[in-house]
Amino acid sequence: MLDVNSLERRWLKYKIKRSLPYLLSIALILILVSGILIFKSNGMDKHSSLNKPSVVTTAASTASSQPAIPVPDQQTMVLEPSMTFIQSMDTIEQDSASAPTTSAKPVNVALPKPPAISMPLPTNTVLQLPEGNEAAPQAAEAPVQKTTNASKAVTININRYETKVDIAELQKRFKETSNPNLGLFIARDAYKRGDYTEAYNYALKTNAINSHLDESWLIFAKSLVKIGKTDQAKKTLQLYISNSNSESARSLLDSIERGNFK
Amino acid sequence: MENSLFSKPLDLFLDVVNPRDYVQIDSISHIYQNLKSSVQKPLKMILLYGRPGTGKSMLLHKLHHDLSKHQKVLMVDIPIVDEDDFLRVLAQNIFGHAPREVMTLTRFLEIAEAVSYPNIPIVLLDEAQLYSTSLMEKIRLISDARAVKFVITLHKTESEDVIAKEHFQTRIWESIELQNATPEELKIYIQKKLLKANCFDVANMFNDKNMGMITRLTKGNYRDTNKLLFALFSLYSWYEEHQPQKIKYNAINTKWVEMAAIHTGLIHA
Repeated sequence: MLDVNSLERRWLKYKIKRSLPYLLSIALILILVSGILIFKSNGMDKHSSLNKPSVVTTAASTASSQPAIPVPDQQTMVLEPSMTFIQSMDTIEQDSASAPTTSAKPVNVALPKPPAISMPLPTNTVLQLPEGNEAAPQAAEAPVQKTTNASKAVTININRYETKVDIAELQKRFKETSNPNLGLFIARDAYKRGDYTEAYNYALKTNAINSHLDESWLIFAKSLVKIGKTDQAKKTLQLYISNSNSESARSLLDSIERGNFK
Repeated sequence: MENSLFSKPLDLFLDVVNPRDYVQIDSISHIYQNLKSSVQKPLKMILLYGRPGTGKSMLLHKLHHDLSKHQKVLMVDIPIVDEDDFLRVLAQNIFGHAPREVMTLTRFLEIAEAVSYPNIPIVLLDEAQLYSTSLMEKIRLISDARAVKFVITLHKTESEDVIAKEHFQTRIWESIELQNATPEELKIYIQKKLLKANCFDVANMFNDKNMGMITRLTKGNYRDTNKLLFALFSLYSWYEEHQPQKIKYNAINTKWVEMAAIHTGLIHA
């Protein structure tokens, strides 16, 4: 006669033993999937942090070949992300005793284009900030600053490393991710390089992804003007102004209409 | 227990060879007809081979059952390994002669020559792989002398193939291989066996799903299937007596099939 109870116990053991590899496989797959997701999310964080501008300040390289530029408060330091994503921190020499005051803003508006953006680089851009002007770097998305001495001028050394390879990499990433920030960056870079057709294309793509990026519309319109399609630029700006009521767009439109912008 | 639904099926799947339990399946019937017609031909030896549990013994018994009505047939299902005993048993059962002296091959052939039958007597040797080389040589000589026609069964393993080659390769005129059943054949086998014994309700409990499982477990081997189903119906009988609420009469319980397989060693748990 069969020992049914013993058989049932053996059967239970057998089922557990048999399903163990499946359970382990499922657990392994879950771990792998979660690992991949975590890895991806970390990658996204890195990616977003890479879009932040990097400001590298140094006092040690004030004697570099780049001219010292006094930066006014209004002048938005267009600090672009380093293309190789290498950031280094130097020091900012600043008089710690002389605390900056907002009233001492410089009036120097007619600034040459920051040479820091020109390619190919690396270049060292040394920005000299007059006394009391700390607001500008702060506005530039929290760059790291260091005050090191008592001199009145603040010197900022911006190191940029940009290559065509990096741009190509960014373009590839933009194609994959359709991140409007990336598109804007590429458009901006192309515009600064004088490649207005590419700037137009990327601004157009960026606008298609996110139609609320002021700067993208401005680059789009400016590129149109540069490639000789002034009427289209005006129409575009008018349309954009009617939707967004953007001051900068209106200002650009005015300057185009007056013929100031060429 | 006498009124048990599963006691009858339990007896059906006892692992015994009885020609009355022979179940007609197309492929086996075909093989059997071949075997039967081969026996009628003037062949010296017929070899029936296959893996253990493929139904060789059953076919041999069935052949004995059918042929013994018409001609002299001796079934040797338990091998007689002693040469003298073997020849003596053959002389006595086929030719009705039991000499007191030591039986030699020459003496046996003399006896065979002295007795004449309209048809050559047939000796069915089951498990022929158990015979010694020397005895196999004598069997060969007897068949060469056309004193007796032999139908032998061999297990198909590597070593037994060697025996077959050595002793029978040139003398075997017909060799028939038996193979394991396909899932469809196994289903027919089980259901026919149950229906033959009027176990209709139990036969209806076998569906394609649990037949697939049984075929996987037994690999279509008839002996393993019999053992598995015997254990399965033992389980059913136990549950019927102790926990009848657990029995579902619409299908075979796959858990109990696995338990039966564990019990019979088809599953190593």
